[in-house]
Amino acid sequence: MKVTQVKCPKCELPLYMEQQDEFFYCSHCGTIHTREMQRVERIPYEIADFRDSTPADNRIYVPFWRLLTDFRIKSQDVRGGFFGKMGQALKGGDRGGALYIFVPAAHLETPAFRYWSVNLTINNPRYGTRNDFGGTKRMPAATNREEAIELADFVAVTLEAEKPGTLQYLDYSLTVNEAKVVYLPFVSSPSGLHLAL
Amino acid sequence: MGDRLSVGLSCPSCGGAISVSEGESSVNCRYCGSTLYIEGDNGVSTVAFKNRLDRNAAINALRVWWKKGLKARDLKTTGNITEVYPIYLPFWSIETRVAGWVCGYEEKHTTDSKGNTRTEKVYKEEMVLMDLPFSEIACDPGDLGIRSLRNFQGEASFEDLDLIPTFESTTSRDDAIEHAKADAVAKGRRSADVPNITFESLHVLVRKLSMIYYPVWVARYTYQDRMYIATVDGVTGQMLSGRAPGDALYQSLAVTAGTSIGGLAAAGGIMAAITFQSEIGIAGVILGLIVLGATYWFFRHGSEIIQGDFPDRKSMPGMKKGQDLGSYFKEMSR
Repeated sequence: MKVTQVKCPKCELPLYMEQQDEFFYCSHCGTIHTREMQRVERIPYEIADFRDSTPADNRIYVPFWRLLTDFRIKSQDVRGGFFGKMGQALKGGDRGGALYIFVPAAHLETPAFRYWSVNLTINNPRYGTRNDFGGTKRMPAATNREEAIELADFVAVTLEAEKPGTLQYLDYSLTVNEAKVVYLPFVSSPSGLHLAL
Repeated sequence: MGDRLSVGLSCPSCGGAISVSEGESSVNCRYCGSTLYIEGDNGVSTVAFKNRLDRNAAINALRVWWKKGLKARDLKTTGNITEVYPIYLPFWSIETRVAGWVCGYEEKHTTDSKGNTRTEKVYKEEMVLMDLPFSEIACDPGDLGIRSLRNFQGEASFEDLDLIPTFESTTSRDDAIEHAKADAVAKGRRSADVPNITFESLHVLVRKLSMIYYPVWVARYTYQDRMYIATVDGVTGQMLSGRAPGDALYQSLAVTAGTSIGGLAAAGGIMAAITFQSEIGIAGVILGLIVLGATYWFFRHGSEIIQGDFPDRKSMPGMKKGQDLGSYFKEMSR
């Protein structure tokens, strides 16, 4: 095994991070990068600001991949769910289009992973941004861009499956046009994570 | 796996010794605070578990195993242990997350009072989202009866690697990943429990990949001039695999009882089918055949009691021609 000192690919200063994280964050110039073998990749990101009333204790930033996708349904077969289907028919059907898909970049347990990916994709969060983490802890990232794109496919199908009726067949295409990391503000409590926007 | 491991690596900035956990690719130096990236060979981090057994503990585990089950009753007194030695076996350890959906239907058959059977389709859409561990031996296991790891916890240490014969990995990383993904898809599909699948979209992500060198004690023993082999887990002390002579009395009693009950049930069933109700008769014949089948299944290996991953003796897919444990053990026994 080979050990190398991690240096920022932009300002070339060595990193001294307080936590173990697959997203290497340069506190000097703010660049985040990932490494896989010899491949170094800069990650575009933004940091959302906490709601003013958020208590100072237990604040944490959780990284999410925000993928701008084009999700097109070519054909599908749904059984049951009469009212849902009627509603779709009245609206002229829902054949997809541009969609922001949120995929947790941190390693969340499977129930939390499902909850946050589906909820943030259905209700895209609105937030103001800031330039640094302001000393707030970050949850370490564990999902790279390629993995996030694979998981976006899962989130897109989940949106269709969770509509009324029982999905029997889905022919679709999913194109990812942009991938960016968004650090969303949360408050961590024994009952789980609570979004603080 | 939470144990931190010193692997003889040092910080390129301050020279301090660094310790990492299995599968970790980055660490912060505890002396100078530098963030360090650890690049495994071919992208694979390697760990060895400390051997916690000595020769006597391995022999004890074997002797305890001899007393269990339907093994020859005099095995514990007449079994002769000829050699006991430790080896390190390489295993691929891969953690995956499988995510997706399986959709389709289940056919339910209902029969009304007039005997008319109706088939109803129950539509299903099932989410699959789970984290799975996978392991696979990374060399030819020969006749050891070991194919995967049962235990993933252990004290990490490379100390014994120089003292104990170690088998190098002969299977490829990519093949192991392919097997782990196929295993995850199969388990995900099974967990969805959709008998007739009309749509499936399953994605498998590799969360962690490492090579674990695991200590195993190999014991050879003889019983009535026949040679047997068994293996003991060098971390937990549990039996991993082995062959042992079965007990002739237990077996003859069980075979006699099994064939008698099976034969009587089948014959009774045929009689009942001819004279009374056909359904009871057919049920009797089926029961009889099941008992006979179970008797055959239980004693299909003849007089041997077998524990471990022995059934599939074929070479593992993707196995390169290389170090073969089977030939190694033949050489050892000469």
